[in-house]
Amino acid sequence: MKITRRRLAAALAAPAFAGTMPSAAAAQTTAGPSDPLEAAKARIKANSDALAKEEVPMSTEPAFQFKA
Amino acid sequence: MADLSADTFFATIPELNARLVAKEISAEELARAFSNRLEQLGPRYNALALPFPQQAIRRAKLVDAEIKRGRLRGPLQGIPYGAKDLLSVAGQVTTWGAQPYRAQVFDYTATVLEKLDGVGAVLTGKLSMVELAGGGGYRLASASLFGPGLNPWDRSRWSGGSSSGSATAVAAGLVPFALGSETSGSIITPASYCGVTGLRPTYGLVSRHGAMALSWTLDKIGPLAHTAEDCGLILQMIAGKDSNDPGSAGKSFYYTPQYARPMKELKIGYAPIDFTDRADASARPAFAAALAALKETGVQLIETKLPDFPYGPALSAIIGAEEASIFEPLIASGRVNELADPSQIAGLKASVDVAAKDYLKAMRLRRLMQEAFQRLFSEVDALVTTGRSGPATPVNQPLDATSSVPGGFDSIIPAGNLAGLPAVAFPCGFADNLPVALQVVGPAFSENTILAIAREFQSHTDWHKRRPPAA
Repeated sequence: MKITRRRLAAALAAPAFAGTMPSAAAAQTTAGPSDPLEAAKARIKANSDALAKEEVPMSTEPAFQFKA
Repeated sequence: MADLSADTFFATIPELNARLVAKEISAEELARAFSNRLEQLGPRYNALALPFPQQAIRRAKLVDAEIKRGRLRGPLQGIPYGAKDLLSVAGQVTTWGAQPYRAQVFDYTATVLEKLDGVGAVLTGKLSMVELAGGGGYRLASASLFGPGLNPWDRSRWSGGSSSGSATAVAAGLVPFALGSETSGSIITPASYCGVTGLRPTYGLVSRHGAMALSWTLDKIGPLAHTAEDCGLILQMIAGKDSNDPGSAGKSFYYTPQYARPMKELKIGYAPIDFTDRADASARPAFAAALAALKETGVQLIETKLPDFPYGPALSAIIGAEEASIFEPLIASGRVNELADPSQIAGLKASVDVAAKDYLKAMRLRRLMQEAFQRLFSEVDALVTTGRSGPATPVNQPLDATSSVPGGFDSIIPAGNLAGLPAVAFPCGFADNLPVALQVVGPAFSENTILAIAREFQSHTDWHKRRPPAA
């Protein structure tokens, strides 16, 4: 099974939100700081780092009014 | 008094509608029977938020008068149902499953409930949910004002969330159908764990006016019921343009199974690892049999990969930034500390730290994700994977204690929600005496296609007809 670096980074950063079951990856991150607030902040930092690695063309504008 | 046997409590919408139109039963009898059952058994599963027995019976009497006059309003007329407690009913308490809002009352009713009232469906109660739909990132099944959602198949297991009561009530025969909501997994997960059929509509197809907002750009309202056909009939009634919902797509939905493409023409993408290495060991035989049953419908299964994006971080940044704004008064006032789950409290407090650049990056990536899925759906008509990788988790176990193998379609829930795609989860077998499910995801506004696949599967199997032992 091939796992790309991007997929691995994403898995390590992603927390559980809105009914999504926390994954093993989330368990790894929650195994960091024992204080829940520090753990939540650490996840936000990890997410930010993961997003920073993504290159997006300047012409790609945010979906301010998201439409499917 | 008509015979309301146990079969009635597990009947499909067309079955109940046929009996109502034939005047074998009345809407009032159904409202009384289902209201009693919801009040008696709902607390057993922590599924009931607020019953409406008197209002339901009054409404049902009016429906009976209409039927008597020959004024038929369609398949939902006279059918009882429940709604997740994030949908407002004018003058009634709407708690959002959270202690800080336990006495909250709105003076307007959610559009979806108005629509269902307009076609004669009878609201018998509001159903429990994970507090604030789990937006802060909950860790415990007990993250609810109503206590942990208990699974009707085994009360030592979780019902799933955040639409816990909606899935439980359908599975236990407390309502014929229910409304839930999904931001990322909140219909698919409880439907899978409780063995019912759950439909997450395309973003914008169903109005969210009157629903709690967790993420303006991700929230969807959808049905949970016994069959795919039921979900199609419900969606037809709740879909449509709503000027009160800025995210409304302005589209209607007509359930047209008669025009479904032949199964043999459909190409369905899948990742074999989802059904083997990524699945819980106990569930692999059920998933293997389900894949075989799906092949028997005639569809072509084609090995496929999801577009490669950081779905989890993007989803978290978007929900975090939007909920920080939505719940700013709750966080700033300190009342966030009244929530039940420490992780949820911490997640909401920390959400104010999500940087604007990260939110914007995630929203820009979302465009690329949509384009990538459009390309993928030029090669396949739908995707299939497991609803969850195994059966419901123990109710007393932290939700992040289970491990999963990365790869395959492991990101399908955040990916599908970020791209606004519809999905249907439906039972496909059992593991450890608990239901497991398949999940079919399609292009935006392809509800008829994915429901046709689920309906065909259900015509070849009887998993959706199984009932929890205690029910």
